[in-house]
Order: sequence, then C-alpha cells, then structure tokens
Amino acid sequence: MINRLLLKKSIAESRLLLLACATAIYAFCWTRVWIVSQFTMIQFQTVLEQFRDYERFSPVPFEQLFTYTGRVALTFDEPIVVGAVSLWAIARGSDCISGEIGRGTMEMLLAQPVSRLQVLWSQTFVTLGGVAILAMASWLGTYSGIMTNSVEEPVVRSWTIPWLQIEIPNWLAEKEVRRIPLSQEVDPGHLVPAAVNLFALGVFLAGLTTMFSSMDRYRWRTIGVIAMIYVTQMITKIVGLASDQLAWLSRLTFFTAYEPERFVSIAMNDPESTWSFLIRDASGVFTDFGPMGYNSLLIGMGLAAYVAASLIFQHRDLPAPL
Amino acid sequence: MFIDLRGLTKRYGSFAALHDCTLTIERGEVFGLLGPNGAGKTTLLRLLLGYLSPTAGRATIDGLDCHRQSVEVRRRTSYLPGEVRLFGSMRGRNVLKFFAEIRPGGELRRSLDLADRFELDLSRRVAFMSTGMRQKLALVATLAADTPLLILDEPTANLDPTVRGIVAQLVAESRHQGRTVLFSSHVLSEVEEVCDRVAFLRDGQLAHLQVMHDLKRRHRIRARLAGPWQPPPDPLGQQLVIEREAEGRISIETPGEMAPVLQWLSSMDLQEMNVQPVGLRALYDSVHDLGHG
Repeated sequence: MINRLLLKKSIAESRLLLLACATAIYAFCWTRVWIVSQFTMIQFQTVLEQFRDYERFSPVPFEQLFTYTGRVALTFDEPIVVGAVSLWAIARGSDCISGEIGRGTMEMLLAQPVSRLQVLWSQTFVTLGGVAILAMASWLGTYSGIMTNSVEEPVVRSWTIPWLQIEIPNWLAEKEVRRIPLSQEVDPGHLVPAAVNLFALGVFLAGLTTMFSSMDRYRWRTIGVIAMIYVTQMITKIVGLASDQLAWLSRLTFFTAYEPERFVSIAMNDPESTWSFLIRDASGVFTDFGPMGYNSLLIGMGLAAYVAASLIFQHRDLPAPL
Repeated sequence: MFIDLRGLTKRYGSFAALHDCTLTIERGEVFGLLGPNGAGKTTLLRLLLGYLSPTAGRATIDGLDCHRQSVEVRRRTSYLPGEVRLFGSMRGRNVLKFFAEIRPGGELRRSLDLADRFELDLSRRVAFMSTGMRQKLALVATLAADTPLLILDEPTANLDPTVRGIVAQLVAESRHQGRTVLFSSHVLSEVEEVCDRVAFLRDGQLAHLQVMHDLKRRHRIRARLAGPWQPPPDPLGQQLVIEREAEGRISIETPGEMAPVLQWLSSMDLQEMNVQPVGLRALYDSVHDLGHG
C-alpha cells in the first residue's frame, strides 16, 4: 500500500511546511503559557467576570478558567494552533490528488508501475504523520512552557510557635507574594487529551480534504470547497451556541467534537473519564460522548473519508494536464 | 500480437473521443499514430496506460488488460506524455534517480549515459530548466527504462533539430533491441523516418492504416506529353492511377515497382518529367480530404 520512494518524495515536498507549522505551534504554545504566567489569577478573574453574560460560548464554566490548568488549556482553542493544524491538513490533503493532477506530475507518476492506492496512501502516511507531529508539538510547547515559567501567588504570612513548630496564619499582616513554578499548579498530563483532540481534528480535516481532492483536477477548487465547509461549520457552531432554539445545530458541526478545554477539565476533575468513550450520569444513563468518543468520531469520519477517496480515485478517469 | 485493441471506445456523454478502434501491433514494431489535434491519439494512449476506463471494447498489452491490470501493463511500458511536467523542486539527477529506482530493474547508470548523449545539465532544479531541457530530461527518464514497450507522445516537441535526430536514432536503436515503439507525432518526416506502420486517426476513428514499406514504393510521375499518348499495357494499366490534364500534362501514380512503368514511359515522347515518392504528406492530406468529402 505504501511505496518507499513515493513516501520519500512526499516527505521532501512537505518537510518545509511541516517544519514551519511545528515551529509556529511549539513557539506559540510556549509563549501562550508564558503570557498565562504574567497575569495573576485575580487579574484574570477580574477581566473574565466582565464577560459573564457570554459564558454560554465557553466550552467550560468560567470557574474552570479560574484555574491555571484551565487557562493553559485555552491554548488549544487559539486560532494559531487550530489554524496551523488545519493549514497542514488542508494543504497536504488537497495536494494529494488534485494538486498532482493540476501540476501535471500525476501523469509521469502513474506512468510508473505504482498503483493509484500507493500514490494516495504514501501521501496520506506523511500527512497523518505530520498531524501527529503537530499535535505533539502543541503538547511539548505547553509542557516546556509549564516547566520553564513561574507564577506569583499571594501567601498569608504566619507565626511559627517555637519548639512546637505550629504555624498560625496572621490575617492582619499584608499578604506575601511568592513566585512558584507553574508546574506546581498545572499537571502537563492533564493536557494530553487536548493534544489528542487536536490530532483527531487534523485527521478529520485531512481525510475530508483528500476526499474532495480525489474527485477534482484543480487544487484551488478543492481548497475553496473545504474553506467553505470550514466556515459554514464554524458559523453553525456559533449559532448553535448562541440560541437555545437552534442548539440542535451544534450536533451538525464537526467543531462540536473539538472541545480540548472540556476534555482537559474532565481529566482534571474526573480523571476516570479522561479516556472514556461515553459519559453516563450517576444512574448510568448516557448523557454525552466522552473525550475518546468524540475523538473516535473525528478519526472515524476522517478514515471513512480516506476510504471514499481511495474508491473515487481508483475508479475515476485521469484528466490530461491542461 | 503485442498490443491488441478490440472495438476500443471512449465516450464523454454524446462525444466520442475514440470510436470502435480495432488494431493490432506486433512485437518489435515501430508504430506511428497520426492525426490532427482532437483526433483521438492521446485518448488512445491514455486508454492503454489505464488512465481512462473504456466505454466499450478492450485493449491488451502482452495479453494483459490495460484497464484491469494497469500496474502490470505499466511495468512493461515506458511512457512519455505529450505535456511533460516533472517535479519542480527536484534536481535533474534526482529526477532520473527517482524514475530509475521506482521501476524494478531500473539503472541510474543507463539514465546518466543517456543524459550525456543529450548534453543535459543534471545539477539544475527542474523549476529552473527551460522547456526544451525538461523535455530532454523526461525523454532520458523514459528511454532509459528497460521495458518491452515504449510509448512516445509528441517526443520531439520543443526540441532543436539536433536533438530530434538523436531521438530518431534512439527509436531506431530500440527497434533493433526488439522493443515495440508507439510513436505519436505531428512531424510527418519523423514518423516517415522511424515507423514501420502508421495509423491515421480522424474524429476519434481509425481512418487509414499504412505500411510504410508500401508507401515508400509509391511514386508520382509528372510530365508533359510531346507526342502521341500510348496507353499502358495490362496488367500494368490496372495498377496505375493516371490523370491527363490540359496542355498534355499527365500525372501517374504507381503503387509498386518502377521498372515496368519506366519501360512503358520510354515508348512515349515526354518532356519535363519528374519522379517523386508519394510520401506521408500526400497521404495525410488525402485521408483528411476524404473526411471533408
């Protein structure tokens, strides 16, 4: 299914884009954590309280955002992180077939004794490997941010009773401000579900783009169709969140399955459900998909799109280059 | 037979790009495809390579179905497309390495030797090569593959006369090595030089099939009659196409041996006589005149 030379060619063609996206994601995630460390929780809380009326647009209650883990988890919802993964997935997915056909290189490629499936899956292997690298870069960026930054924490001064070694808080004295490592406040392990969710989103987008690429001869048209779907789905999600009457719209957009902040919140507050497929209430009734449920949905739809792309590409006529 | 086409048809809606094409090509033959743009030449080649699925009919190469066993067919085939596009970011040498390695039994040495013959600068990136250089690079990659079938679609487009000569030479060498060559071109003199047989396509249909050896024996004689006309003796008269024009001018087309014709002509008083081979040009024109008639 995968041809070594096609794999090598695909890596050579895409390595610069991958390097750029991975560097951008890593650097941004580190910087984002550094910014979190520059504002004390009180400052952030004061700002966020101004937006209480818009809490419904937040995937997690504001109380979750009043924790350092919650604030760091916001990184995975930043346009730069989502944008870089989407850019990679759409760029590689669209190049896979309509890109090669549009450039005219598919003609020479398929003149060789390689099957169409080998051409498609060798590219796919690189695309999905790249998505995994980018998801890893996002986690590594936040991990190194957590490990290298510290935060200011107001601490109540205390009296120590000699010989007994008992500390009595002195509420009357001015609070002492200490810098403590961020790693004491945030467990990087709690952010792994967010990175996995980012990977799942990348797989879905790459699969969807490859499917449209497999039926087209112009790369620009493939990108146009995907951009239209992307924007429409985003609007659907916003409208679904904005109106109770239209809340059902949220079920029609793939962005509903991308909830990194919520999955970090689950990892933090309900560790047993971190990798669950389904979430049930106390009486055992299904209430929602768990993090792995949503991830499986995204990855499953992405792989289904890849299977569709394989079938379409294998049976279509190859147009002559223009 | 090495290539066998049976009623091969490709339709796009109501438009037939190729219609009911039946043709066989023998192993070791250099076979030419001629026809104006849109006649169906490239469609035929793309059907052979499995790029297109036939609407009707069947094509086989070495007994393998071109559509269903496409990878096996391409293992036996080296193809140069009419519109050559190579990987822009690769250097010339890497392109040759890629095409040599992707084919079982491919040898880079052979490609490099051929590149020397074409005086190609392999250190340059494809994106910075001229159109002619890219064409030469693709030709080298195609000709270096050790396959029993060579399909060349407009191989000499964008090339200077010297390189065209080398291509003709290499096609002749391929024939001596026992390879089958399918050669599509608009340059009639090239086809005339290298091909054993030629198919004329017109509006997606096979209009005429010509054995080049027979064509080379065909001559046209033009002269002016200064004395009385002597009709040719039988059976020679039945073989000749004679046109008598004004002022005693005559045009005679002979399909075979010249000796009996010259013997007959010597019995008449002729002036301003000239003898020319009929050539592919005249045949091409007549095939397409038929189309308009």
